[in-house]
Order: sequence, then structure tokens, then C-alpha cells
Amino acid sequence: MLRAIFLLLACQLAGEAIHRLTGLALPGAVLGMILLLGWLALIPRERPALTAVTGWLTAHLAVMFVPAAVGLINEGDVLVTDGIGLAAATVCSTMLTMAVTALVFGWALKRFVPGGGEDAA
Amino acid sequence: MTGLLAAPLFWLTVTLGVFEAFDALSRRFGRHPLCHPVLWTVPVLIGLLLATGTPYAAYRDATFPISFLLGPAVVGLAVPVWAARARIRRLAIPIILALTAGALTSIVSAVGILALFGAPDSLLASIAPRATTTPVAMALASQLGGIPSLAAMIVLFAGVFGAMCATPLLDWLGVRDYRARGFAVGVSAHGIGSARAFQVSPGAGALASLGMALNAVMTAALLSLLEFDDIRLHHILNF
Repeated sequence: MLRAIFLLLACQLAGEAIHRLTGLALPGAVLGMILLLGWLALIPRERPALTAVTGWLTAHLAVMFVPAAVGLINEGDVLVTDGIGLAAATVCSTMLTMAVTALVFGWALKRFVPGGGEDAA
Repeated sequence: MTGLLAAPLFWLTVTLGVFEAFDALSRRFGRHPLCHPVLWTVPVLIGLLLATGTPYAAYRDATFPISFLLGPAVVGLAVPVWAARARIRRLAIPIILALTAGALTSIVSAVGILALFGAPDSLLASIAPRATTTPVAMALASQLGGIPSLAAMIVLFAGVFGAMCATPLLDWLGVRDYRARGFAVGVSAHGIGSARAFQVSPGAGALASLGMALNAVMTAALLSLLEFDDIRLHHILNF
């Protein structure tokens, strides 16, 4: 368990280091995620512990961004002046993204995956 | 007593307590997207900060142990991606094409529409990572010169709205394949959309989680390319 936590922190730390040293613009945590993917593919030993720890973290993701979201307390002016634009852009962009992704996925499934790639799930 | 208000223990306890109360309420309402606990916890906490005259900086420092977990949680998204590797291999072409199209659509439409309203650069940078999971959106927003807390709320509303419109929108479009449906919900409405997809079916939920994790990387990469060349988004869109 402790080793899985260490691995998550180590991957993030390495990701942050790469982010700063190379000027690569991907955030450190995203680079850390790619590093952890590499670790999982190469070294099987910590897989069960990592699954347990990250399962717990993902299940509680919502509470973790509460402190940041409370920062809206200082952004009242923005919400008054640009609230309508923000709402319109968020609503339209969410629907457009969902439609485009679903249609492209459905089209590519028929066009490129013989037999539809049926699986158990 | 005033000393207690300044101690990290106080705001940590209050934050977890308020969140847990709304989480219990959300469970009682069958996890309806409008009952998402963050949606109600944030205004209550803002009210408490105002009532006690606590500056946001003090609250942010006190609750650092909670926010700190975001980084390791993002790193941990590698685990579900790795677990889905066989399926990724089988559906590689649809996944890559749909992910690229979806991530581009999200960035261009969100920034483009907001630019039409004449919003300043800091807001365009806050909405550009709209489709990613919240911690990634906050990191990307601050890198691009946006406002992380605003990015968090935009992402939250996108998730709530996406979770509510998914079934009617995808039915209307005639998309029947559960994998196309699930993946689209994850790419466009991240974690809140994925939670909704899991309620519909485990298969759709798994594809939604995959879409969310992959889009965190794809949107980060696309925005990084834009930032790396120091081309501002609105110059590309030429508004």
C-alpha cells in the first residue's frame, strides 16, 4: 500500500521535474500519469495495490477540488460581466463535443473495425 | 475561539462535513447530476467564509491537505487506462479519431463562442480546457494565464449539463452503439458524465472513464502545442 502511494508521488515528482527541466507544457501530473502507464506495462508487482489506492482516490476526486472552486469568492465581478457568455459557451461546447465524438466513433466503428469489435462488456 | 477559526483543523473539518452532508443528500436523490455535492458545498463554504470574515488565502492554505491529493489522483488515472488496454487495442482507430475530433471541437467551440461575447484572454484560457477532468483543467488554465477556480466551476457545470443532456441528445442523433455513447460522454463531460454513464450500463461507464482519462492527455497536449508556439488561441480563431 505504502509502496503504491510512493509510486504515485514519485511519478508526479518525476513528471513535475520533466515539466520544469524540458519546458514541456504538459502539466506535471499528466506527465506522471504517462510515466505510471509505462510502469504498469513493464512491472506487474504493484498492480493490485495501485488499483486499490487509485480506486480510493478517484472515488473521492470531487471533494478534492472544493478548496479550489471556493476561490470563486474572489471572482464575483467576472461572473457578473461575463456570466452569460461563460454559460452559453459551456452549454454549446459540451453538446457539440458530445455529438462530434459520438458520431465520429460510430462512423469509424463501422468503417474500420470488422465485426464491430464486439466484446464481453 | 478566533484562534481555532484560523487553525487548519477547523476548515478541514468543516469542508469534509459540509461535503459529506450534501453527498448523503445526493445519494438520496439517486445521484441526480443537479444534486452533485460540489455544486452545493461551494456556495455554502463561500457563505461561511464571508460570515466569519475569513480571507480566501487563509482557507486555501488550511485545506491544502485536500487539494494536494488532486495530483496523485490524476497520476492514478493511468490504472483504468492500463486495465482497458485490450479494448483500446481492439478499438484503436475509433478511439483515436473520435478523441482527436472531440478534443478539437471542445477547445475551438468553447473558446470561439466565448470570444464572440468579447470575453478577455484570461476567461478564454479558463474555458479552453473545459472538457478535461477538473484538476487537469485547473493546471492547464493556470499555465495558459486563466483563473483555476473559474476553470473548476466551468468544468463542473459542463459535467452536470453533459450528464443531463447525454441520453436525449444521443438518442436524437441516432447513436445506438453503447461504446460510442459512453466514450462521447466521457470525452465531453468527464467524471460527472462517466458517473451517469455507469448508471446506464457498466460497459458505457467503462468507455466513459476511458474517454475522460484519454481526453485529459489529448486536450493537455493540444493546448500545450498552442501555448508552446506562443500562439494565443484567439489569434488562431482570428476573432
